[in-house]
Amino acid sequence: MAAKEILTRRPVAATIKLTVPAAAARPAPPVGPALGQYRLNLMAFCKDFNARTQKYKPDTPMAVTITAFKDNTFEFTVKSPSITWYLKKAAGIESGSGRPGHVTASTLSLKHVYEIAKVKQNDHYLQNMSLEAITKSIIGTANSMGIQIVRDLD
Amino acid sequence: MNEDDVCSDTDEICVSSIFLEGEDINMSISHAADSIGLKEIPRYEVKIIEEDDWMKGAQESFHPVEVTEGLWVVPKWITPPDIQAMNIILNPGLAFGTGDHPTTKLCLLLLHDCIKGGEHILDYGTGTGILAIAALKFGAAFAVGVDIDSQAIASASENATLNNIGPDKLQLHLIASQTSSSCRDDWPSRVVEGENAFEIDRVTHKDKYDVVIANILLNPLLNLADQIIFSAKPGAIIGLSGILSEQVQNILQKYSLFLEGIDVSKMDDWACVSGRKRKNIDIC
Repeated sequence: MAAKEILTRRPVAATIKLTVPAAAARPAPPVGPALGQYRLNLMAFCKDFNARTQKYKPDTPMAVTITAFKDNTFEFTVKSPSITWYLKKAAGIESGSGRPGHVTASTLSLKHVYEIAKVKQNDHYLQNMSLEAITKSIIGTANSMGIQIVRDLD
Repeated sequence: MNEDDVCSDTDEICVSSIFLEGEDINMSISHAADSIGLKEIPRYEVKIIEEDDWMKGAQESFHPVEVTEGLWVVPKWITPPDIQAMNIILNPGLAFGTGDHPTTKLCLLLLHDCIKGGEHILDYGTGTGILAIAALKFGAAFAVGVDIDSQAIASASENATLNNIGPDKLQLHLIASQTSSSCRDDWPSRVVEGENAFEIDRVTHKDKYDVVIANILLNPLLNLADQIIFSAKPGAIIGLSGILSEQVQNILQKYSLFLEGIDVSKMDDWACVSGRKRKNIDIC
């Protein structure tokens, strides 16, 4: 239910955007107040979100968009963190280079890029892209952040 | 962490954001306005949200549910629609299991079909205690419910009382989580004090239960496979849920070594895998 396009005539009460750690949604802030005020079934959301994010590493901050309908039902979509987030995490840095192209912030290997591509492939907006295409896109993002990608790291 | 929601009226858009106590709201709003080049700060109002406000809202989504003919799950503040039926009365609090979710229904149906009377039940991840309580109402002799969340144990205790079930029939245990990630530090949470690994064995006992039911999530089910199998008698029925249909293969991969006569039941996107523990395994 969660991954389908919302082509529905059900009147919408609100759109809620949250960041929730993968597989760790609980009926407490931030989820509790955000959903409770629209009388949505908190536990159903937590169960659904947690089940759908089992494949991610625990604590990965997932971007959730919930559409709350006026009849107190809801739908939601989940996106994994941005590619820049994964690259920074893999490189262990807080931010990219201030002068990409001139100053290298860090270096990662192709293996890192491949691992990130495999995770991102799960995002439904990337499902039409081949692993190779996603990998190329990640390398492009890395370059724009001043992260150098090499074949192997010694 | 800031979260936003957008409620749309006819010409106006209103954005509400939730902040933790002590955050500098003024600064966040001016940064946000700056970052999209707004010339002036939109008018805003700051309100304190009491815990009660949103908890009440969440509770309102709980209605009586008829799981199968003659079996209802009813919130404690509502009169059962059918007094003659078997009614499980619940106050869920902040625990999972109101009879509404497909996984709860699948498990309740499994228990309804397989309990003949006199069994010993283990409910792993008991939540509100709904499965253990239902099993007792179906005729089981004794049930143990375990959970890593103290709020679940609190809710299950209250629900046992609401259904006139005493400690001679139902025992509840708070156990330590396998991973350290069961505590989130974003809000003042109650610390999960757990018994250590040896005590879990004492609670769950080798080869003791006739039925072991676990409605949790894929990863805990995989990590707890040894414990779940260990606690079941040879030939006992094991039911596993809280998994999406696409996750059934992962469960089968891990559990088909230990289970025979495996059946998979489905409802919406969810599944329940059940089987009997093979008679000749030895896991220590």
